Amino acid sequence: MILSILLSLLTWGVIIFVIVKSVARAFKKPSSWLQREVPLWEEKNIISKEQGDAVLSLYKLKRVVAGKKMDMVKVLTLVGVIFVGLGVIFFVGSNWQRIPSLFRTAMLLAITIGTLYAGYIFSYEKDGFVNLGKSLLLLASLFWGGTIALIGQIYNIPTSENWYIILLWAFPIVPVALFFKNNYVHILASVLFIIWNFLYSGSNSIANYYYPLIIFLFMLPTAKNLILTRRINIIGLLLASFYCCFYKYEWLSLLISVGLLACYLAQKEERAYLYTACLSFIFWDITYFTVRQLQPNIYFLLPIGYMLYLTYKDTLEKNLVFCLAGLMIGINLALSSFSRMFNYPFDWLQFMVFQSFLGLSIYSVGIVSRRRGYLFPVIYKMFGYLVVFICVYLLAFKALLGEWTQTVNNIYLIGSLILTGIIALFLIDAVKCGDFKNKSRRIELTAILAAFAGNLVLLVSPHTLLLNTIVMNSVLVVFALCNIFLGVELKKHHIFTLGIVIFALFIITRYIDVTWKLKEKSLFFIAGGLVILFLGTFLEKQRKMIIERMKSG
Amino acid sequence: MNKKLIFFAVSLIWIAVAVGLIISKQHIIRTGKTVLLETVPVDPRDFLRGDYVILRYKISSIDLQKTASERSYYEYGRKVYVKVEPGERSWEATAVNTKMPVSDNRVYIKASVRSCYNKKLELNYGIESYFVPEGVGKGIEKNMQGNKSSVRVEVLVDSSGNALINKLVAQ
Repeated sequence: MILSILLSLLTWGVIIFVIVKSVARAFKKPSSWLQREVPLWEEKNIISKEQGDAVLSLYKLKRVVAGKKMDMVKVLTLVGVIFVGLGVIFFVGSNWQRIPSLFRTAMLLAITIGTLYAGYIFSYEKDGFVNLGKSLLLLASLFWGGTIALIGQIYNIPTSENWYIILLWAFPIVPVALFFKNNYVHILASVLFIIWNFLYSGSNSIANYYYPLIIFLFMLPTAKNLILTRRINIIGLLLASFYCCFYKYEWLSLLISVGLLACYLAQKEERAYLYTACLSFIFWDITYFTVRQLQPNIYFLLPIGYMLYLTYKDTLEKNLVFCLAGLMIGINLALSSFSRMFNYPFDWLQFMVFQSFLGLSIYSVGIVSRRRGYLFPVIYKMFGYLVVFICVYLLAFKALLGEWTQTVNNIYLIGSLILTGIIALFLIDAVKCGDFKNKSRRIELTAILAAFAGNLVLLVSPHTLLLNTIVMNSVLVVFALCNIFLGVELKKHHIFTLGIVIFALFIITRYIDVTWKLKEKSLFFIAGGLVILFLGTFLEKQRKMIIERMKSG
Repeated sequence: MNKKLIFFAVSLIWIAVAVGLIISKQHIIRTGKTVLLETVPVDPRDFLRGDYVILRYKISSIDLQKTASERSYYEYGRKVYVKVEPGERSWEATAVNTKMPVSDNRVYIKASVRSCYNKKLELNYGIESYFVPEGVGKGIEKNMQGNKSSVRVEVLVDSSGNALINKLVAQ
């Protein structure tokens, strides 16, 4: 149960992260007018490069490096080449019987070598056709795949051995990628190796140790200056590590994790190595749990501790998010192992309360970091807040609160009590040090205390369903109000808007919660629509009015 | 590095790989003994290589209680050698070994264990796909319907136990 929740959360986390990163990269623009203009002024000799740097540093802006623009001819040749390559593969796939099979193979091999030769000639012997040459080398590599597929078809190599065909396609094109320095072929080989890894593991049901070795020893070192190729290989390794969770290949995921970490230490400018190493270690921890459910993975503390150290040493705030997620998953898996060891059943309510306390602990670390001037206080607070909010929101549902199994899982109970003590000490220390003296901090403290008290009620008395529902809904309202007041106090409209969103979410979900059981669904939708329309208009009006007031001072 | 040399080296590698693959399969055709096997088929589509028929053979499923066998259980993925002998309609499995018997003139086909449960051994021989011209697969499948297969497969087996489909034989 815990594992499936964690795995699905992690899957979605990774998917969303990759999508957000790709979309953000695709639409990345200079963040200010100055970033766009300064290079232009330098180009027209209005200002020198030093002056440009001085202007940018004054506004704390980084210099934007203009991305290479792909010219039309390059795009068209590439598209043309891919079309011809695909055409040949489909032609082979259609199994043309009129020509004898060996003659067909010889013909395709001759075309392949001919295309390779043309690629070489246009790349190195003729001037001005570099792009065409590169594209022809890619086409030759695609034809090579067609040739191998044709031979496989002639001799009826079974589909369960497709991994073999893909490997025979990928390996011989690596020299083209390396020695002709062809990025397209490098990408093709990288993608083929990813496909091969999954086909090999799927067909033979064994861990594919050759894949990470090939990538670490050949593909990544040779893609040192090719960002896209390098990242494709990194993603391939991460996917391979993720795959291990489902097939219990714990040593493989450990090998990939250590390899990625080593790559980061060797090439620190590529931060993706560390991010993926961190995620891969989490996958390893999950795999370890699936393999030996009664044995908590204490070794996980070593890599995650080292990751945290690197996060601070190299000031990588994004990695802190992965580390915190890893710590949470690690703690939960360890507790789950202990629960199984002592035969305690899984209890949804206790699990959620524990997560909420974990979130509050992380938030408390943010408060201490802020006071002592340590790095990343905002990341700790945002992460902790998000965890607590999700738990409180879910625990505000009566149906979920009623999921209590009537049996106490002492492991989670003790865990929650330890966290309660730690949070209480943190808060007392913060109050003593005068952390909550001004108004905005007092509002923050109110929200923390509300969540703390709410969780405590649930922990002490899980059976009082009605009381718990009222308590957790009240905590949610306190969250919304605190955000609204804090937004007004600090004049930060995103915090204020967040409060409005929480409030609206609370109203809508409570409406659904209460009225969904009604038999008359049409009434539910009509009334619900009206409530949303009214609430939306009212809240938006109020929000705009207050934000205007904030701006005017 | 001299790019012309690289071109020749890559061309040689490609030719060597292609020819090597062909020779390894041609070796089976030249030296293999002919074996006729009974089938049970399905007809999917392979993304890479056009239409093909998935073949299941009578000898893909072996009852270890009725067949001579070195062991009563074989773990997943283990390589085994199945002794086949001519039967009434087609060749049948008569023994399962974990090693290829030396100086035995009989026919053994190399297989890998797919599953072994309740003394029922399921095997893959690497001859489970037969590629056909586009659209022909359905017709073959139709011919193979029913309990009694009307199509058998002629397989060539070399001295190391490697098998290769030679042709489909309609009754």
